[in-house]
Amino acid sequence: MSTGMIFYLSGLAILLGINLIAIWGLDLQFGLAGINNFAYIVFQAAGGYAAALLALKPASAYGSFETYIGGFNLPFPLPLIGAAAVGGLLAVPVGLIALQRLRADYQAMAMLVLSLIATGLAQAQTGLVNGPAGLALIPQPLVGAFPSSPLGYHWIFLGLTAVCCALTWWVARGISRSPYGRLLRAVRESESAVSALGRNPNALRMTVLIAGGAIAGLSGGLLVEYVTAWGPSSWLYPETFLFLTALIVGGKGNLAGGALGALIVPIGIVELTRRLPAFGYPGMIDSLDWVAIGACLLLFLWFRPNGLIPERKQMFRERSTERTGSRMREAFAGRRTEAR
Amino acid sequence: MTLLLGIVIFGIYSAALLAIGGVGFTLQFGVTNVLNLSFGSILTASIFLEYGLTGHSTNIWIAMAVGAASGAVVSLLIGHVVVGAYIRRGASGFSIAMVTIAISLMLQFGLEAIQGPDIYAYAASTNSTMNIGGVVVSSGQLTTIIVAVVAMAAVHLLLRMTKLGLAMRATAADVTLTRSCGVSPARTRAVAWLVSGALCGLCGVFLGIGEGSFSSTTGSDFFITLAAAAVLGGIGKPYGAMLGALVIGITSQAAAAVISPSYKSIAAWIILIAVLVVRPQGIMAEFAAERELVA
Repeated sequence: MSTGMIFYLSGLAILLGINLIAIWGLDLQFGLAGINNFAYIVFQAAGGYAAALLALKPASAYGSFETYIGGFNLPFPLPLIGAAAVGGLLAVPVGLIALQRLRADYQAMAMLVLSLIATGLAQAQTGLVNGPAGLALIPQPLVGAFPSSPLGYHWIFLGLTAVCCALTWWVARGISRSPYGRLLRAVRESESAVSALGRNPNALRMTVLIAGGAIAGLSGGLLVEYVTAWGPSSWLYPETFLFLTALIVGGKGNLAGGALGALIVPIGIVELTRRLPAFGYPGMIDSLDWVAIGACLLLFLWFRPNGLIPERKQMFRERSTERTGSRMREAFAGRRTEAR
Repeated sequence: MTLLLGIVIFGIYSAALLAIGGVGFTLQFGVTNVLNLSFGSILTASIFLEYGLTGHSTNIWIAMAVGAASGAVVSLLIGHVVVGAYIRRGASGFSIAMVTIAISLMLQFGLEAIQGPDIYAYAASTNSTMNIGGVVVSSGQLTTIIVAVVAMAAVHLLLRMTKLGLAMRATAADVTLTRSCGVSPARTRAVAWLVSGALCGLCGVFLGIGEGSFSSTTGSDFFITLAAAAVLGGIGKPYGAMLGALVIGITSQAAAAVISPSYKSIAAWIILIAVLVVRPQGIMAEFAAERELVA
């Protein structure tokens, strides 16, 4: 295999990892708890900006060719931790606004509007994060730490992505299998039942919005450190539907479904089509990718609304009752022998 | 003073555009109970169709006829045929929102693929202008305001004076009762999609010709502002949308004049969010009742 091909494939693997993290984060909110977060990309964007501003030197260090606030020049892994923190914090105001008792489709629209407002503000406030042009020259993590070639660095970044992926997988799996995850499923299935059991559905939604937001922030931080640039055109509102389509195609509510969706939609439809022989004008394939994503969404909603890997029905073994049951059986058996 | 007059006059012009589209959006929502997130893409499609079919004509009569017809046809295809099929299959409210988003993405990016790097612009019209107290208004803007007033009057007559309008209001209020009165809800809903699409197309051509140029994202950007007008007025209520359009139109012009032009839309969107936060129960009254989704 040529070096170029290895370079390309390892880059593809990094992008797959970053998308996996983002999709698993969305799955916690949308698949597990049923929150129609049409503003999900904003959490990734916020994480991206946070990582960029924490890692960059002050604007004057680059001759002030871009304007932004901050520029703290912090070393790895602080920018990534900051990205996750900002993503989680952002969930609080978003949740307070959008997690009201609104009809599902209406809640989705409120989220969509929040996404548009965020883009509009990032473009209008040129001093904040360099306006429509976006940030560039974002430092990559661990660059000087190991003596390595560009390809070698690619492997280091891939390793970092893999570690973040594993961490996300561990957290998402933990949440999904815990009693808390069971409550979130209950919120999704029947809000009134959760209320009747004395739990506050909105508080539960808020916690998972924060958890998913932090994961989205982490994915944004990684993405920004990988591509070293970040601007409003990278996170327009349709990007959220890239992740949602991945979940609907792969199967929401389970980690394997999210992973399959990540492989098919952001990698298969978006990245691999860039390798097609060019036709039309430059950028035509990108536009047609989105048509394909919309078509995928329509087809899956019609033929397979639960995705390729549907969520399995959860069976929870009630350990305590089982123990009681067997003790009763023993007691019953004992009594029978006594009777004899 | 001129600033204030300018805000009011251009606010009324914005309101005219918003009212045409907003009433179309809200009317369809009221009758079918489907939150049509592809409305903006239908708007864009109408401009593209008008531009392509008439050879960039800025003749206002031709543009209006072709724009309205294009919007009506596209809206009927999307709403009655595609969305209707999903509803008859038993899709939930959220799935329907996803269906309309999917259609919206396909339309918007399909049009982007057609347009490519080309710039679509209408020939600069040699419009006569009028000076109202130091504010220069073009005849095109005046025409938009007049057409909006006529369109609102027509919607009012349709809803209040015709059997069809009565059927639409009845379907919006109670589908089961309407059905038992012998009115076909399917036909009423088809008409709602048609009327909504026609108003959407009308709004589209005025927006396109008024702005001078357009792209595949023109409609989806404008749609949220238009939805803000509809939500402010109480979604599903045509008269509310007219009032909402006036408030949003003047507020966004004021934001553009006082803060910066880039805040024109953002101001409208923040109002939309503020309505949700401050008066959720006001909207709840309309929204809480889980009505039957109808095709």
